[in-house]
Amino acid sequence: MAEPPVSIHNPNDDDSSNQRASPQQQKQMEQAYAQMKRKMSMQEIGRKIKHKIMVLSGKGGVGKSTVSTGLALSLAQQGNSVGILDIDITGPNVPKMMGLDGRRLHVEEGRIHPAQGHLGVKVISMAFLLEDEDTPVVWRGPIKLGAIQQFIGDVEWGELDYLIIDFPPGTSDEPLTVAQSLPDIDGMVIVTTPQDVALLDSRKSITFSESLKVPVLGVVENMSGYTISGKTAASSEVTIAGPGGKSHKVSSDADGNFSVTLDIFKEGGGKDTAEEFGVPFLGALPFDPGFVRGGDDGVHRIVSEPEGESAKAFSKVVESIIDQIGESSSEGLEII
Amino acid sequence: MSETIPELKRLERRDLDVLLTYDGGQNFIVTYDDIKHACPCAKCSPQRNDDESSKILRREIESMPPEKPKVRTVGKYAIAFEWVNGCSSGIYRFERIWALANKLDPDDGKSYVHGAW
Repeated sequence: MAEPPVSIHNPNDDDSSNQRASPQQQKQMEQAYAQMKRKMSMQEIGRKIKHKIMVLSGKGGVGKSTVSTGLALSLAQQGNSVGILDIDITGPNVPKMMGLDGRRLHVEEGRIHPAQGHLGVKVISMAFLLEDEDTPVVWRGPIKLGAIQQFIGDVEWGELDYLIIDFPPGTSDEPLTVAQSLPDIDGMVIVTTPQDVALLDSRKSITFSESLKVPVLGVVENMSGYTISGKTAASSEVTIAGPGGKSHKVSSDADGNFSVTLDIFKEGGGKDTAEEFGVPFLGALPFDPGFVRGGDDGVHRIVSEPEGESAKAFSKVVESIIDQIGESSSEGLEII
Repeated sequence: MSETIPELKRLERRDLDVLLTYDGGQNFIVTYDDIKHACPCAKCSPQRNDDESSKILRREIESMPPEKPKVRTVGKYAIAFEWVNGCSSGIYRFERIWALANKLDPDDGKSYVHGAW
């Protein structure tokens, strides 16, 4: 005879076989235990990682992963221990930018150990789990949610000063899941480019942060301006034909050197958006084709040219972020 | 945004208002109703865009029972209020608090634009 689905406990009956849970109940208990263990692990991870920063953008293609990796490397350059969690499950590309293409993750005693990229930055990404980079990940909400929780709860990050979390574009499930799973997130950085479409979507991300109750650390304007340098006759005037048929006149110095910054996608939009919403403007990053080459070669611009203009721009953005989340943030204000 | 404001040193939650003390000892009182009405979130802000809806918002707020909110700092740039009744989504930059303390328009006369919602 088949076992009843639920065993009935009779306090007067000492037969322990009656108290045994059914396979279905056992499975449910195991799942509940695993979930509880993961939740505790997330709390523990929350304590071990001092600062958690979400990087979002409303629109795709604004260079969000480039900014995420840039922030992580810039923080690491300043001596911090840093990790990047690439939450872009369907289009993960952080490993490639961090020179970790083709790496596999190391799993020990049920814990996932992150790969280590440039400057010791620890990286976790869906890309490490794909058989080949052409395989698409077609997951619906609940599976994605499970994977994200696993990426947070089952990863052995160790002690970190900063964890940068890179999201897919938009205001979908992923940021919501992370905001609900990971305690004490410092805030989100919104990446935008100066054109109107990107700005419109950034405003959406800022509004989204309010529903998540995660503060906006500020707005970063990427691809802000492209600087052209050259040499001509000393102390002469050069005319550069810029985008939209706009001419730029620039004077060369006594040695004949000149440089001019062209605003390929307009200028100042990120700053205006930040001001409109009353959130900090963290800075502008130049349009630098070196990011594209570096991203493809796996050597980030900050690593290949640590003293370059882009590295300096990132350093300024990082300073602004640290200023926002500084440990002395509430020191000056007494609330009673 | 560019105006340099003194540092807020103390925020005392009283029964119906907050007593703000700035660096240098200046004291200001801002009522909870004024704070709620100036909520900068995307839901409340558009309601201040025209006088009529702003008055409706004001009346709604004034009809709520008085309460002392929880207050927390947000980064180094803002504070947030948590109410039992009313909207708790707004993140109030210190500039906004300063404007409220000085009875200035916290929106600086600008209408709220809703982005792409």
